[in-house]
Amino acid sequence: MNSRLIRVASVTAIAWASIAVGHALQGPRATSNTRTHVETLASPRLDGRLAGSDGERLASDYIVSELRRIGARPLPGHGDYLIPFEFTAGTRDGGTSITVSGLRPAARTFAARSDVQALSFSDNADVTSSLVFAGYGIVVPESQDFGYDSYAGLDVKDKIVLVLRYFPEDADTKTKQMLARYADLRYKALAARQRGAKAMLVVTGPRSPNAGETIPMSFDTALAGSGIVAASVSGTVANAMFAVLLGRTLEATQRELDSGNPHVAGFAFPDDVTMTVHAAVVREKQTGHNIVAYLPATGSTDGVVKPWVALGAHYDHLGRGTGGNSLAQKGEAGQAHVGADDNASGSAAVLAAAAVLAGQPRRRNVLLSWWSGEELGLLGSSAFVATPPVAIDQIAAYFNFDMVGRMQDNKLTIQAVGTSASWARFIEQANVVAGFDLLLQQDPYQPTDVASFNLAGVPCLNFFTGTHVDYHRPTDTADKINYEDLDRIVTFAVSIVRRVEDANEAPQFVKVDQQVQPGGGRAAVRLFTGTIPDYSTEAKGLLLSGVIGGGPAEQAGLQKGDVIVEIAGQSITNIYDYTYALEVLKVGVPAKVVYMRNGQRRETMLTPAARR
Amino acid sequence: MRPTRDNLTLMIRSPIVCSSVLMATLAAPLTSQQPAAPQERDFLSRIRRLTVDGRRAGEGYWSPDGQRIVFQSEREPGNPFYQIYVLDLLTGDTKRISPGLGKTTCAFFRPGTDEIAFASTHADPKSKQFQEEELAFRASGKERRYSWDYDPEMDIYAYSERAGALKRLTTARGYDAEGSYSPDGRWIAFSSMRDAYNRPLDDTGKKMLEENPSYFAEIYIMRADGSGQRRLTNVAGYDGGPFFTPDGTRIVWRRFDEQGLIADIWTMKLDGTEQKQITDFGSMSWAPYMHPSGQYIIFSSNKFGFENFELFLVDAQGTKEPVRVTNSDGFDGLPVPSPDGKTLAWTSSRSGGAAGQLFLAQWNHEKALEAIRNAPARTKK
Ligand SMILES: [Zn+2]
Repeated sequence: MNSRLIRVASVTAIAWASIAVGHALQGPRATSNTRTHVETLASPRLDGRLAGSDGERLASDYIVSELRRIGARPLPGHGDYLIPFEFTAGTRDGGTSITVSGLRPAARTFAARSDVQALSFSDNADVTSSLVFAGYGIVVPESQDFGYDSYAGLDVKDKIVLVLRYFPEDADTKTKQMLARYADLRYKALAARQRGAKAMLVVTGPRSPNAGETIPMSFDTALAGSGIVAASVSGTVANAMFAVLLGRTLEATQRELDSGNPHVAGFAFPDDVTMTVHAAVVREKQTGHNIVAYLPATGSTDGVVKPWVALGAHYDHLGRGTGGNSLAQKGEAGQAHVGADDNASGSAAVLAAAAVLAGQPRRRNVLLSWWSGEELGLLGSSAFVATPPVAIDQIAAYFNFDMVGRMQDNKLTIQAVGTSASWARFIEQANVVAGFDLLLQQDPYQPTDVASFNLAGVPCLNFFTGTHVDYHRPTDTADKINYEDLDRIVTFAVSIVRRVEDANEAPQFVKVDQQVQPGGGRAAVRLFTGTIPDYSTEAKGLLLSGVIGGGPAEQAGLQKGDVIVEIAGQSITNIYDYTYALEVLKVGVPAKVVYMRNGQRRETMLTPAARR
Repeated sequence: MRPTRDNLTLMIRSPIVCSSVLMATLAAPLTSQQPAAPQERDFLSRIRRLTVDGRRAGEGYWSPDGQRIVFQSEREPGNPFYQIYVLDLLTGDTKRISPGLGKTTCAFFRPGTDEIAFASTHADPKSKQFQEEELAFRASGKERRYSWDYDPEMDIYAYSERAGALKRLTTARGYDAEGSYSPDGRWIAFSSMRDAYNRPLDDTGKKMLEENPSYFAEIYIMRADGSGQRRLTNVAGYDGGPFFTPDGTRIVWRRFDEQGLIADIWTMKLDGTEQKQITDFGSMSWAPYMHPSGQYIIFSSNKFGFENFELFLVDAQGTKEPVRVTNSDGFDGLPVPSPDGKTLAWTSSRSGGAAGQLFLAQWNHEKALEAIRNAPARTKK
């Protein structure tokens, strides 16, 4: 432990003490500590609570001190509230290189990062083979009945394939929409691997945005190797390879492919051109800490089906936002992302719920959890369900709180309602008293820890008050939290938890089919529009919960509350339509946007910027 | 019955409706002429969703003490049709009071007693068969618009909460439903299609009964024990959804034209005299309910979009143009103010999906009066 950390810790402890005293002075009416919890966890001193950082440690210290106060215990068999897990904190290129032999006048090696760079999900290996050019490397599954396969007629077994990044530039809108779904680099790598290729090289074609540049390594924690060597190469490298082919240039080849014509075929390079790819991705390991405690049942749990119920919230956030998920504007970059709503609010909700539940009789054990690494890909909760310290099939239900501090107009979203047929009844009964304007979403495949428990077969719910302009920005601060309604959410959730906790039977899990997500998805979106969609509303069209200051949307005059119903002639009825529509826009080319404001139909032109 | 959104949806999807009318209505600018028109939030605050369970729920009516609501919901395991439930607003507890078998609709508390009236088909020996057919149809994965079929076996019953027993009030062949009690609990106004069965129909009539049975619906009144049944209306087209005014002197209901496309709000005396048209809104205006103050009627209309039903207000005498209350996507209808006039219960699809659920909100009575004062006089067409 270094001295700086000790100093920071003691200063913070003093701050907590003084806040707590101030709160106590308000007398017995001050029953909720959610404000104290949020203000403490979202203090700039915790530096954004990045998983594995000092800030995470400080946050866990506070939560553990509260757990002791409440009287919650470490799990049976654990001496400590902290359960560590290891994760990949970042990736960098560790010296990837390419050697091409058979080039005239001589073999050449490329090792500069501006010429070759491993993709973050690449296997670390050396591969030597001959080369096949496979167009855009896109395979549309047969189920789509679309008929586009860059590998048709090509034998790539044990070969190195070279593909273009993105998708055909000049295709008609429909074709682009379809191909864009399968243009994600991971998806292309998967297609290459499934056809037996040893390695996939990607070049950004001369006719595409970011032409000729290698692809910066994205922060990618979720997966290690993907079973194939994958790297991006520069236009220079690709041109050097094309130079051996009489009468062909990369540009002309791309132009042919850009119509989207499925019959433009790839081709093999001459056998005497071989290539060695040395791929090296360095994955930095770090340790994050889940905080797990429990309130034992107050009686015997003999005969109680699944004698646990669980509550949880992630307590980590983005640190200073350098990891890639930050939406900080110019001038905010590098500041602590204190994450008051995301997710000091949920962490506070679980603490407050625990305090209430601790004072009541319990037929089941109540598991209390605060996850780390959520912002890096649900790492903490995934680690928990992978090696559960309490048998997962003994958990009757899991309740998650992620961003519950920004309630507006009494609107509360509950997600993952489809995971049990019992939820509707429990929610209805509790809400008659609580009185929220509820929006229910059946889908448990949410970008929060509820997804981990759904995959583990545990009936679960996620409470959510919606996105906002401060989402993932340093401006998500404690003063903007709606504490009164946060406390109402706690009371509401506790009443549902208690109903589950008191019942003889456990809710039955229902497996919800995952909506078919396009292979391309967000990663293929290469545009920046500066819109902040409101994911909590199922309006017809895309409701904006805000726009990024200075971004293209703001410049186009769009604002919070507008509902986008059409972009570039594409009608928009939901977030997926919107994503697909974005995929076919071009950087710097204005597109007509039709939107509704106060019931009136309006139009504007939006000029997308590039997303790097 | 008072139509639920489902059977109205069916109506507006009937082939008579041409889509160009729909498009024209939707494209019309909604607010251009009245920039300072009151907004939904001026009338309704603290909106809350009351029902969650089941495919759909609606038609919530208050107990006289304002502490409970009786409503219909498709939530009974094994029965795809509406059953009747009483919801306790203090505890959140919900209890089914209908038999669980067959179809039911349109419940209403009888003031001063432990009785709740509703309409049900459970006496039909084919009830179970119909349930199974509907379940099999839904299981087949086929999609069809839920349709209200004006089941001729539908009759009105009174349920005693204390005895847990049902008493049958109507026996006539033909749909009897949409019953509501007078404030003194002595009378029930209801809608019946018995006129289609109590006389020989000519060919036109037979065809009508097949295609649009609600054409035969008329308003009737009877004593709370089912005696003294008397017909009050005699105009072609669907007369339905009758409720007593708070002073018990008049009935407010909605009257469709013969084609079943245009409906307006009317009131009349309990003997069927002094029939008075309150709205002339050129749209489908229905589900009227008078505020306990007696000063205005809240109803639902598709004035601003063929499938976009919104709530409106109109003064009790119908001297003014109606004032828009809600402004949300989807369906808003079946408004019922609480006995103290401070809360509104209504049915809405505002939280997504096609099916409605019950909502509650605080009702701003002063704002309603002000909006009516400021409304322009009704234009005679
Ligand atoms: Zn987040």
